[in-house]
Amino acid sequence: MDPAEVEFLAEKELVTIIPNFSLDKIYLIGGDLGPFNPGLPVQVPLWLAINLKQRQKCRLLPPEWMDVEKLEKIRDHERMEETFTPMPSPYYMELTKLLLNHASDNIPKADEIRTLIKDVWDTRIAKLRVSADSFVRQQEAHAKLDNLTLMEINTSGAFLTQALNHMYKLRTNLQPSESAQSQDF
Amino acid sequence: MTEELGLPGQDSDGGSEEVVLTPAELIERLEQAWMNEKFAPDLLESKPEIVECVMEQLDHMEENLRRAKKGDLKISIHRMEIERIRYVLSSYLRCRLMKIEKFFPHVLEKEKTRHEEEPSRLSPEEFAFAKEYMASIETYLKNVALKHMPPNLQKVDLLRSVPKPDLDSYVFLRVKERQENILVEPETDEQRKISLVTGEWRPYWSVRNPWLCWQSK
Repeated sequence: MDPAEVEFLAEKELVTIIPNFSLDKIYLIGGDLGPFNPGLPVQVPLWLAINLKQRQKCRLLPPEWMDVEKLEKIRDHERMEETFTPMPSPYYMELTKLLLNHASDNIPKADEIRTLIKDVWDTRIAKLRVSADSFVRQQEAHAKLDNLTLMEINTSGAFLTQALNHMYKLRTNLQPSESAQSQDF
Repeated sequence: MTEELGLPGQDSDGGSEEVVLTPAELIERLEQAWMNEKFAPDLLESKPEIVECVMEQLDHMEENLRRAKKGDLKISIHRMEIERIRYVLSSYLRCRLMKIEKFFPHVLEKEKTRHEEEPSRLSPEEFAFAKEYMASIETYLKNVALKHMPPNLQKVDLLRSVPKPDLDSYVFLRVKERQENILVEPETDEQRKISLVTGEWRPYWSVRNPWLCWQSK
């Protein structure tokens, strides 16, 4: 899957905005939104929030977990544990990137938050690499991983599954199998 | 203004009945189907009811927008949503077409040999596409190479020369509901992989919070 497609899915997450316009309730196919009143917070999907912000029609509020102290705790917890800890949002990476790119003026201590999220990401990806490595070495058939986000899986997933496929083919060809399919034209 | 859509579905006894979905749930199902299709190595069951209902919803919304007055903001918001849904739908259908093109002889063979009650893997349009594609490829091969070959080599068995979908490939699964006692590792080495493909979904590289519930036959 393309990272852009993962971001596409992440854009459905709800965030809070403070509009500077008014509009009565809108009935989208995916759900109802609004009504919008200037100064009153309302929840909308991220794709709409970003678009409204670009048109300067709203102010974005950072999600409750996007706070320096909370993220420091999360980062330290992630570094201590060997397995993956639950993340505040299944799309933490995409949310951070989009919000910080488009609305960093609405988010206090944006740079620190960026660094913290990057640290958490790096730690988790390193754990994923170790886990994939041991999966391959021990030739396991399946592995269970909780608390991984789609973006993380997507980063290493394609390579990992292809590598495992190749290894499987090599392994099974060591044994003479009755259903050997080869070209015998 | 949430309408409900009737969709043919299956209840837990396996009997068929209308499942009523809100539009939001329909879009959710479309996205599930999209993700499943993207991650599965083989062509999955076709979901004509979802595709049709989504197209109906989109047309309905387009119709409303055409008739609505020029209230700029509302219209642009609706249009953005329509574009998003349209993207998922096209991507889903494109993914399926790509697999049909890749595995065309096997897809057609499976369709020929399936039982009456088994659901088809191809929608009627996809079936027509697959047949035409096969005919085109055969004509192409004949005109470009085969007719210039010595007479005893002028046949090509597409079923054997086109690679089959690799049902032994590794996938990521997301477990949606708790399932007890899934057997993943039977005795022999070969069976380990085959058990993924037949029957209910197995956690293969299973990630509990996100992704994919893949059911395959």
